[in-house]
Amino acid sequence: MTAPGSTSPLPDRRLEELSDQVAQLLDQQAATNDVLRAIGRPEFELQPIFETVLENAMRLCRAHAGQIFIHEGDHYRLACASGGSDEYRSVIAARRVPLGSGTLAGRVGLERRAMMIADIATDPEYDTEEQRLRQRLGGFRTIVGVPMLSEDDVIGVISLWRSEVNSFTDREVELATTFAAQGAIAIRNANLMQQLGSRTRELARSVDQVEGLRKVGEAVSSSLDLDVVLSAIVRHAVELSGTEGGSIFEFDDDEREFHVRTAYGTSEELVDALRRTHVGIHNTLVGRAASTGTSLAVPDIAEAASDPHLTQLLRAGWRSMLAVPLVRTNRILGALVVRRRAPGEFSPQITDLMETFASQSALAIHNARLFRELERKTAELEVAGRHKSEFLASMSHELRTPLNAVIGFSEVLLDRLFGDVNAKQEEYLEDIRASGRHLLELLNDILDLSKVEAGKMELDLVDVSLRHLIEDAVAMVRDRAIRKGLTLEVAVDDDVDAVTADPLRLKQVVVNLITNAVKFTPDGGRIDVRAEHAGGEYRVEVRDTGVGIAETDQQRIFDAFQQGPRTVSESAEGTGLGLTLSRQIVKLHGGRLWVASRAGEGSTFTFAIPVSAPARAPEPDGPAAARGESADGRGRTVLVVEDDPRSLELMTLYLRGSGFDVRAAPDAEQGLELARRLEPDAIVLDIVLPGLDGWDLLALLKSEARTARIPVVIVSMLDERGRGFALGAADYLVKPVGREDVVAALARCTTAAPVTVVTLTDDPLVLELLDAVAADDAYRVLAASTGEGVLALARSEHPDVIVVDVFTDGVDVFEVVEELRAGSRTAIVPIVVLTSEAMTAESKRRLHGQIDRMAGRTELDRRMLTDLVGSLADPRGRAEGR
Amino acid sequence: MSSAVILIVEDNERNLKLLRDVLGVRGYSTVEARSAEEALDRVRADRPHLVLMDIQLPGMDGVAALRELRALPDGAALPVVAVTAFAMKDDRDRLLAAGFDGYLEKPIDIRSLPSTVASLLAARELEPLP
Repeated sequence: MTAPGSTSPLPDRRLEELSDQVAQLLDQQAATNDVLRAIGRPEFELQPIFETVLENAMRLCRAHAGQIFIHEGDHYRLACASGGSDEYRSVIAARRVPLGSGTLAGRVGLERRAMMIADIATDPEYDTEEQRLRQRLGGFRTIVGVPMLSEDDVIGVISLWRSEVNSFTDREVELATTFAAQGAIAIRNANLMQQLGSRTRELARSVDQVEGLRKVGEAVSSSLDLDVVLSAIVRHAVELSGTEGGSIFEFDDDEREFHVRTAYGTSEELVDALRRTHVGIHNTLVGRAASTGTSLAVPDIAEAASDPHLTQLLRAGWRSMLAVPLVRTNRILGALVVRRRAPGEFSPQITDLMETFASQSALAIHNARLFRELERKTAELEVAGRHKSEFLASMSHELRTPLNAVIGFSEVLLDRLFGDVNAKQEEYLEDIRASGRHLLELLNDILDLSKVEAGKMELDLVDVSLRHLIEDAVAMVRDRAIRKGLTLEVAVDDDVDAVTADPLRLKQVVVNLITNAVKFTPDGGRIDVRAEHAGGEYRVEVRDTGVGIAETDQQRIFDAFQQGPRTVSESAEGTGLGLTLSRQIVKLHGGRLWVASRAGEGSTFTFAIPVSAPARAPEPDGPAAARGESADGRGRTVLVVEDDPRSLELMTLYLRGSGFDVRAAPDAEQGLELARRLEPDAIVLDIVLPGLDGWDLLALLKSEARTARIPVVIVSMLDERGRGFALGAADYLVKPVGREDVVAALARCTTAAPVTVVTLTDDPLVLELLDAVAADDAYRVLAASTGEGVLALARSEHPDVIVVDVFTDGVDVFEVVEELRAGSRTAIVPIVVLTSEAMTAESKRRLHGQIDRMAGRTELDRRMLTDLVGSLADPRGRAEGR
Repeated sequence: MSSAVILIVEDNERNLKLLRDVLGVRGYSTVEARSAEEALDRVRADRPHLVLMDIQLPGMDGVAALRELRALPDGAALPVVAVTAFAMKDDRDRLLAAGFDGYLEKPIDIRSLPSTVASLLAARELEPLP
């Protein structure tokens, strides 16, 4: 600017300089914009950016040639060159510029700053043959190099040349440095973008893969239908590998061949053709992949060594394929194949992914095979079981026919129907007859045992005296004991008497135990038979001073035909089935049989049966002990509501005499209070009371959940039974009442019918589980293994809960559940369906709303049963099992 | 009183002989049949007072034979006892339900056989030969 008052114009020269500067700045501005535009282009290719950077740098710095070198490993690569002769450019394009001080670029890289050689012809350090060659070809003299710095790293160098000796000004060097920085930014951005892009693609791919694998995993675990699973696998495999078609081959162990199991993106014609092709283990690449356990790829089927499988693929227009083995625990299961219509390699990532799919497929095939195997075995077992029954029936018949003659004729002779026999003849005839009888016994035991095993043994339960039964049994064996000089002592406690049992069967058990004791006790030994009443069951014990049984043999002797090493000289006697059968018979009575013994120190066999055996014969091994009729009030609390002291005294006397724990209340108010607090097993109620009368109290008791379940026996002068029963009384007695009347009435109503569990299953494990869950006399378990069976039981047995095992063979569980729900008697009975994780969602949906509980086998427990039973309003008004 | 004729239907020779001899020595006259068809012929021809019928026979079995026998004149009232080596409890029920008048399980207790036979015949006022 000019000083005030000065009139002289600006000198032309100055003006020129200024306008030059403006032009330069505008130029720089334009160049920078140029570069930034290049950097900002979405496709982000580096090459156009380098070109833009270099051209602008050359122009603004008035250079005749320029190059951009990019740092790569141990050298600089020429990324971009401009100016100079074609020959020169082709020479430098082929060369790699080493790091280090040998070149200007190398030196700039080392020094990390701009460097200039004013005249290379006179620079002593610029004197290698190559440099001279370059100089000759390019004809350059002055050279400047600026580093491209990203963070602190030299990622490249820009060099600018002039063909005459003319140093670059500081400003020019500064400009070049700016362009170099922009180039560096471009490179860094490009790298970041590239990384981001590949990371994004990678992520997208893994999301797809994870999703695909999840779907496949779902298919594998939710369906045992192999075709469903495999077609899901092959579809996802093809989609995720970016191929166009695929198939899964299953290996047939017998034929040593692969069969197409399922295919995707594949024409029917090709599938048919592949089905007709012998895809062997040695003659195909697929077979080799499977047999060697390695994935094999064919980048171009047209170029590959042909095999029957590949020939079919090529014919159908497929050009490349990848075969991945399906192997599980070293067993060839098959192969997964994906294909493309174009030739090409398969990346390691795709191979990895397909191998993961292959292991899922292998698992699916493995599971499905296990399931098939299981089904086949079950069917085989059924057939075997049927054959066994048929065999036993016919064997029994065939053996009985000749035995009839053996025993019959020997008896004819023994009975002297055709004249006398001498002593020796009689002895032999006895031997023949005894042997025949023994054979017959054996036959009967076998039949009995098979009946128990088949669940066909039924007990004829009656009320009998256990005392008499034991005495009868002892009488049958006593002779034999005496002949051996054994002491046989019997001690039956006074309170051992009435029992509900099958007398013939139970006697068979006692006889068997005593007979065994006689057999295995040496002459002069001792046998003690004891019976006692303990904790709701009778225990019968047979103790001997015989040879004893080693601990290791104590389980074995209960197995069929195992007499164990204690078999002594009399091994011909007994069938070897006695203990097995005895244990089963005791079990059918709801009891158990066990042994305590030591070798050389005698044995004690004990069985315990509930005082009241089940009212009905249970299915095999069913526990089902019911709390039966019993006049025994032991341990039960009775509340007597009675205002007359003399009547109360008498009633108390009656009830205490029968073992009841008696509590008394003189009026209704106290009666209600005690009933709530004690929750007694029963209430004996007088009607005429001071204040609230018996009717009021009865109504109050029945209106509260806690007391409603307590049975009430009304004892009144007035005969108003109708009213009493209508209000919910369990029984109604008209005074005067005797001891027997009231005790019997209490026995009737405090004897809770056991909770009845009807179950549909063919799995012994489930039965065992139920036995364990319901292992006392408050439950009885009735089992059926067929749909008809369970429906019949459910209709006739008034179950409190029905347990349906969804895996019962040959039974459509859905149909059964629907029928149960449709039946008038069974509609409201709670149903538990025993299931497993393997049950499909579809199946679960079908059952939804029909059943009360779905449970895994391990979840089935006492509380669940009680809860379900409790949730059901008790329409029969009977006490619940406790 | 007349002497009772008992028809033994049995395909096993030894068992047939056993029954024949035991009943014979007790004074009954016996006729024999080794198949169901033969048994029906014998009933028509010999008019027995009691039939002991084996169940498992060649060809027609004892149950079918009983059905045909009941259709014969006089067949409806003829006492027919099943004699069988089928030893299952349901076999007994099955046979009694099929219309047999009695059931003897093999091996036959020959000591009680005479009294069993006698009681079945008593209703018809028949007795063995003196």
